[in-house]
Amino acid sequence: MRSRPHPLLTYLLASAVAALTFSTIARAQAAPQQTASKSASSPAPKRDLSGVWQYQGTGGADSMTPDKDMPPMTPWAKARFDTEKPGYGPRGAPGGNDPILQCDPIGFPRVMFMPTPNEIVQLHDRVLQFWEREHEWRPIWTDGRALPTDADPTWFGYAIGHWEGDDTFVVQSAGFNDKTWLGPTGFPHSEEMRVTERYHRIDHDTILYDMTVTDPMAYTKPIVAPQRIMKLKPHEEIEEQPCVWSLENEFAKRIREPAAHNPAK
Amino acid sequence: MFITDVQDSSGTGFSLWVLVLAKTNPHRLKPVPLSKKSQRDLMQRFMLAMLMALSFVALPIVAQQQGNPKAAPAPAPKRDLSGLWHYEGTGASEPIAPDNLIPPMTPWAQARYDAEKPGYGPKRAPGGNDPILQCDPMGFPRVMFMYTPFEFVQAPGRVIQFFEHEHEYRSIWTDGRSLPKDADPTWYGYAIGHWEGDGTFVVESAGFRDSTWLGSTGYPHSEDMRVTERYRRVDHDTILYDITVTDPKAYTQPIVGPHRVMKLRPKDEMVEEICVPSEEKSFANRVGEPAASKPTK
Repeated sequence: MRSRPHPLLTYLLASAVAALTFSTIARAQAAPQQTASKSASSPAPKRDLSGVWQYQGTGGADSMTPDKDMPPMTPWAKARFDTEKPGYGPRGAPGGNDPILQCDPIGFPRVMFMPTPNEIVQLHDRVLQFWEREHEWRPIWTDGRALPTDADPTWFGYAIGHWEGDDTFVVQSAGFNDKTWLGPTGFPHSEEMRVTERYHRIDHDTILYDMTVTDPMAYTKPIVAPQRIMKLKPHEEIEEQPCVWSLENEFAKRIREPAAHNPAK
Repeated sequence: MFITDVQDSSGTGFSLWVLVLAKTNPHRLKPVPLSKKSQRDLMQRFMLAMLMALSFVALPIVAQQQGNPKAAPAPAPKRDLSGLWHYEGTGASEPIAPDNLIPPMTPWAQARYDAEKPGYGPKRAPGGNDPILQCDPMGFPRVMFMYTPFEFVQAPGRVIQFFEHEHEYRSIWTDGRSLPKDADPTWYGYAIGHWEGDGTFVVESAGFRDSTWLGSTGYPHSEDMRVTERYRRVDHDTILYDITVTDPKAYTQPIVGPHRVMKLRPKDEMVEEICVPSEEKSFANRVGEPAASKPTK
């Protein structure tokens, strides 16, 4: 039976995966170049992002942007930041208060930088985005509507999208509640946060992904994430991976808390 | 008709009704201006209650007007269930079938049933162990009998069913595949669907975890559970819904749900209603436990 991976195990797995990846890359490089160039030449379909996509990160839960590249916080955000006790990063410590530890929703945009895949399904009036993590989803409306000015704040926000040319899907979102963190190392945001994403499908298998977060109540400048790569996983399907509080709680007692007390370095 | 807490004629119906309203969304109890979602929910509930009351008066009139072709609803589109649907139930969370229509349990199921402490129905008691009290997933088929809407979208190779409750969804595969024999058990199962004629979508599902209950009054099921549903779109605005649960490890006969009616809500959109453990816990401490401690009869 499949149970939900958790950050610590994911981290350990990531190290193993990283090691394997290097050996795979080495083997791939030793293999004839023809196969690689064939698959690279397959062009992107027009105005179509359908499929399961895997963000090519470290294999662990990543931050939106490295801590050192975060713009200065406002006093409002700094006060919140000081109360955050993340499980990762320079401030990582046991007994943290990361909201996801009790299965509160991870929210957007943090969910984008998890090691789990997302799937895009296109309908005539919206693009549906499904995240394996937490078994969550959001509609990205493409029927020409504007972002509402009075939306009830939610965990995954309200999103609209449009195409620039035939290969770049631009998504704007707002209407977020301020209960989520931007990443595993913390960093707050306010309800005024607005997010702009660009999904640039450069070939059949590849999306270049850019994100900018604008939140003047919390940060003095927009946060610009480093460009990421997403790869198509044509034979995969999203699995049902909800955060289950009773399992999470049992796991925390058995493994996470004892592990957090061990020195990290 | 459906037997539920609300129709309990012993005089406790109203307090239970309020408990049902209250338990499901902590925000509703705040004396602050309601969110649009809450306003809509409350309005729907109010309208449902009014409709139930009015139906006794209005039914004969409506029946007479059925002969008028102008009043007839538009015909159903072919092989299309797209849209937001609302189950026309009591307005509260309901069991899959009334207790008296649940077939005899096997000893395996009876032992589990005895350990269940639901918050509703004849076994209702404070300090319950309903898994949803701690935001564990409600699971399928229990989610079908909530008072919140669901939406069908039809995509290539599948029909996706979104449930507003818990912000959940499942894919119902229509690409001709079979149910897998070795699927990892999940909370919402593995589903395939096909059309019978142009108006009836038949869904078969399996691969469920046994950690969910069939309804708010309890009742276990095993991982062997298989569910067959029939969504029969009888006109543009109406689905007649039938469900049968077959689980020989738990019940000596199939459980056959009563015929249910679902209505199209063309102007509604799903709202994001996630079960949030931190909010649920603070709600349980403040309201749920005190309410459940009051004598029921």
